[in-house]
Amino acid sequence: MTANLTVPLPFLTRAAMLTRLLAVQGSWNYEILLGTGIGFCTEPALRLLPGGAQGTAYRQALARQVRYFNSHPYLAAVAVGALSRAELDGAPPEQIERFRTALCGPLGSVGDRLVWAGWLPLCSVVGLVTFTLGAEPLTTLLVFLALYNVGHLGLRIWGLNVGWNQGMRVASALDHPALRHGPVHITRAAAVLAGVALPLLLHRFLEESRPLIGLTAIAAVIVAAGLVRLNGRIEGSRLALVGLALLAGFSVIPW
Amino acid sequence: MAIELFRIDDRLIHGQVVVGWGQSMGLGFIALVDDEVAASEWEQELYRMGVPPEMDVYFKTVEDAAVALDDWFADERPGILLTGDIDTMLRLIELAPAVRSVNLGGIHYRAGRDLRLRYVYLTTDEEAALRLMQQRGVQVTAQDVPSARPVSLDDLLATETAK
Amino acid sequence: MSIAELLPVALLGAVLGLDVVSFPQAMISRPIVASTLAGALAGSAASGVLAGAILELFALEMLAVGASRYPEWGTASVVGGALFARMELAGWAGALPVSIATALLTAWLGGWSMYLLRRVNGVLARKRLKELDAGSRSAVLFLQLTGLTADLVRGGLLTLLAMIAFAPAAQYAGREWAFGAARSEAVLLALAVATAGAAGWRLFHAAAGARWLFLGGAAAGTALIALR
Repeated sequence: MTANLTVPLPFLTRAAMLTRLLAVQGSWNYEILLGTGIGFCTEPALRLLPGGAQGTAYRQALARQVRYFNSHPYLAAVAVGALSRAELDGAPPEQIERFRTALCGPLGSVGDRLVWAGWLPLCSVVGLVTFTLGAEPLTTLLVFLALYNVGHLGLRIWGLNVGWNQGMRVASALDHPALRHGPVHITRAAAVLAGVALPLLLHRFLEESRPLIGLTAIAAVIVAAGLVRLNGRIEGSRLALVGLALLAGFSVIPW
Repeated sequence: MAIELFRIDDRLIHGQVVVGWGQSMGLGFIALVDDEVAASEWEQELYRMGVPPEMDVYFKTVEDAAVALDDWFADERPGILLTGDIDTMLRLIELAPAVRSVNLGGIHYRAGRDLRLRYVYLTTDEEAALRLMQQRGVQVTAQDVPSARPVSLDDLLATETAK
Repeated sequence: MSIAELLPVALLGAVLGLDVVSFPQAMISRPIVASTLAGALAGSAASGVLAGAILELFALEMLAVGASRYPEWGTASVVGGALFARMELAGWAGALPVSIATALLTAWLGGWSMYLLRRVNGVLARKRLKELDAGSRSAVLFLQLTGLTADLVRGGLLTLLAMIAFAPAAQYAGREWAFGAARSEAVLLALAVATAGAAGWRLFHAAAGARWLFLGGAAAGTALIALR
């Protein structure tokens, strides 16, 4: 599993890989999912193989890297770094293929927990709290975007670096406390802020009709309890669409 | 609670399992049944990174899983048993008749497989294996995430293939 | 709306629709951002952020886990924000519920359009499997650039079509709305807060004690309102 680094990764190559990572899902499809994207992002590094971009090693490596792959898009950076390193270190093709397959699940799972179920909801509720406190629209927007992208870009840069540095030993890097325990702490922070944000939102919108705030809150709790009980079988947004369509019918059509 | 889901998914442990199903089930453990992974320390290490620290993950060969099933059924925590392909699940069913339902969660494209659902592609041999499971009384449905509508095997195989 | 008014909105929808999955996923497509930008484009960023906050509550419900299908909030928020900004400036009672309903409908259509795009990407990839298996750089670049371009066009077209198809009916409903602005907004908020609350409740199950923290936060938020 260990190999000595034989080729350094030039700065411009690293920068090209990082830029391409922003478009790693550009050709996402149900057949090979992220596969082409991984090939697209590793390609600048593969040009460093003996023979360059016209060589047999380059073509064989690129063919391996465009096959089916799935992971969280941000943590795909780890795979791109580690797989590029494995190719340039000359690891056996069958070992690279098994490593590639084994990377899919963990990078998807860690990324989904950390980002989609953690960092994004946290930043979202921070944005909502900023809004409820009366911030200007531009301030609200910038607070959300700045906070989110510190995590987003940081994760992509860290991922590419750690993948490249660790190569096929990257599992130890995924044992990083921020990845293992971060989601729990982020979820707890999001929970507190979401709790604060929801009543403040009601107040912000219904400030001029204060008696409605209590009734709206009670109705929201009842509907939320129903949605939880249905355990995702009905989405709130669909329910809202139906509810609003009925309300529109009642309100607009002269009965 | 025991094992609530017997899932075939070529991605094994990933976000749909840990977050999608895990959160709605209050998942306590995952049993990953795969002969090759059970023999590979570094792959186990990688898959272990994909689950939260408080969740257990067990790696077993098909034979060992058949033996361990009684313990997993007796476990108070909700669990998911995962295999990466249909053949592995069929071998498990042959050794362990207690498996009564199978969820197709992700069987992706490769040469020779035809599109059945956007996350299920099957070869004719794989279709036959799923039919065999059904003949043995196992309920086979396709469903990627809990909020999706389950699709029965009959409906799945009745869909027109896209070559 | 005239073509001159529609085109900038469609262009914004194209760029923000692209951000959802393809490039750069910096979450400029989140409702709180996208709706604010669309509102600003239509003349009122303040209206845009109001619609964006409500759509953000609905967007919290859907986690983009794995390869599951989910609503597309980028173009939807552009449509919702632009509509609400125009209708609120006109002072119509049904402006907010009608704009949000239109955005929700667009979000579901957007999810469907992403599914179609992914199918098209798959067909293109399958046609080039031999080239990919031979390690063809040009095939890789073709697939990436075609996918990115198609997604950009998808977002722009969806925004344009949603504005053309839904805006007249939405503006009619917003203008003729008779239920009362405050009561309508209360119904809308109840649904939005319920959706976000239920989503949070499920999400917070993953961390020990998080549900209690959520309830504690809600108590603190309620106390803050009472003290105001």
